[in-house]
Amino acid sequence: MRRALDRVWLRQLAALIVFLALWEGAGRAGLLNPLYVPRPLAVAAALIELFGSGTIWPHLAATFSAAVAGLVLGLAVGIVLGILAALVPFVAEIVEPFMILLNAVPRVVLAPLFVIWFGIDLGSKIALAFILVAVLIFFTVYTGIRQVDRRLVERVVTLGGGRAALLREVYLPSLVAWILGQLKVAVGFAFTGAIVGEFVAASRGLGYLLSFAQSTYNAALMLALVLIIVAFVLLIFALAGRLERRLLRWRG
Amino acid sequence: MLRVAGLSLAYDETTPVLEDASLTIEAQSFVSLVGPSGSGKSSLLRAVMGLQRPLSGRIETDLGTSEIGILFQDDALLPWRSAAENVALGLRLRGDSRARAVAEAATWLARLGLGGLDDRYPRALSGGQRKRVALAQVLALKPRLLLMDEPFASLDAITRARVTQDLLTLVEAEHMTVLLVTHDLEEALALSDVVYLLSHGPRARISRRYEVPIPRPRDVVTARTHPAFAPLLEALWRDLSREVAGETAAA
Repeated sequence: MRRALDRVWLRQLAALIVFLALWEGAGRAGLLNPLYVPRPLAVAAALIELFGSGTIWPHLAATFSAAVAGLVLGLAVGIVLGILAALVPFVAEIVEPFMILLNAVPRVVLAPLFVIWFGIDLGSKIALAFILVAVLIFFTVYTGIRQVDRRLVERVVTLGGGRAALLREVYLPSLVAWILGQLKVAVGFAFTGAIVGEFVAASRGLGYLLSFAQSTYNAALMLALVLIIVAFVLLIFALAGRLERRLLRWRG
Repeated sequence: MLRVAGLSLAYDETTPVLEDASLTIEAQSFVSLVGPSGSGKSSLLRAVMGLQRPLSGRIETDLGTSEIGILFQDDALLPWRSAAENVALGLRLRGDSRARAVAEAATWLARLGLGGLDDRYPRALSGGQRKRVALAQVLALKPRLLLMDEPFASLDAITRARVTQDLLTLVEAEHMTVLLVTHDLEEALALSDVVYLLSHGPRARISRRYEVPIPRPRDVVTARTHPAFAPLLEALWRDLSREVAGETAAA
């Protein structure tokens, strides 16, 4: 037992179990109002109900598609605009002030506007996830390209490389490194955008379920949904981490 | 092989850092440029390589740009390429197939004492090993003229002596012409046939030329015990001190 507790994760797990047990006990003893703080087992029951009845799947699918679509579009537009702005001064003059403005406001405030523009279906959620991701990636690529290591550029040039070689040997690998470095943040942003969008106005999705749980004062359902979102984002973080380790092996 | 005539260089458009510099580098000779900081030594190398446009003057050479190699002090290897891929880079840019370039790179790494480290990324190499990779990268292209800007300044003394000796041996074996910029007077004398001293900048000039009559092949350590070494070092040191004093007086 003593030796088992030498492991960090075992100690952490033990602490969590003790905490949940105390919480459960306090709830059963009537020390906590279940309207505000539902017992862990009640949250677990809500989780089981969501998955057991299968009601969760269309909502998960809606949030997931909105987040992924927003992420992919945001990455594509952010990368293209970032490269163009870094290479073509005219594009930078037009795009940069606009991006700075978008970066300065908390972009989720655009959610109601997007509902008016794109309706309460998937479109407005994709748009919100997209705008969150695109601005982030734009700045990553734009500043990254302008700060690319001059020594590497000179090295390739003096070894006889032209524009194509510079792009292939220096700019693209740098670009991959910067973007992967921001990928986890971008994934988080994409889910934030999708869920906040659903929260504002939707007929499906985890955000919609959250909003429903709120209006019915169902704290157990709310906590269950938060757990699902956390698990989902952690899963995607793990995938992003694997991709990062694979593509950035050279970082050691 | 290389003639520089009346060359003036500037960081910006206004004050020349180097003014009216003329020097000649014979084929297969080892030439060093020494001088106070800010005397435009590095700029001269960059101008020869075509990385910097001169204000005036001429740089004449019978070499194509692909026959000139350059090694900087803060040389950067591509961090996302292995040692062998970094060395192969120049060869591939010249049109060699990937397989052939990597095979050639492996022999160069072995020649520079890095056999077996082909697949290491630069991050996993020591400072001295990275320098050797950078050197292999340049030498693999078999340049007829090698330009070096304080290439080993960042290395510790022992590593530096060893890399320098390996370089010297290769240069002598391949009959390469070298133009080296250095702060280290002893290094300049131990390696070179001719040393040029630059005056302090701005508007630095080439103030003196010394011939070093130490026979080849040389050893960087024993070259220092040659009878000609000490008097030359003394003269070089005295002249450089005078230049630095002039700089202080001017300031």
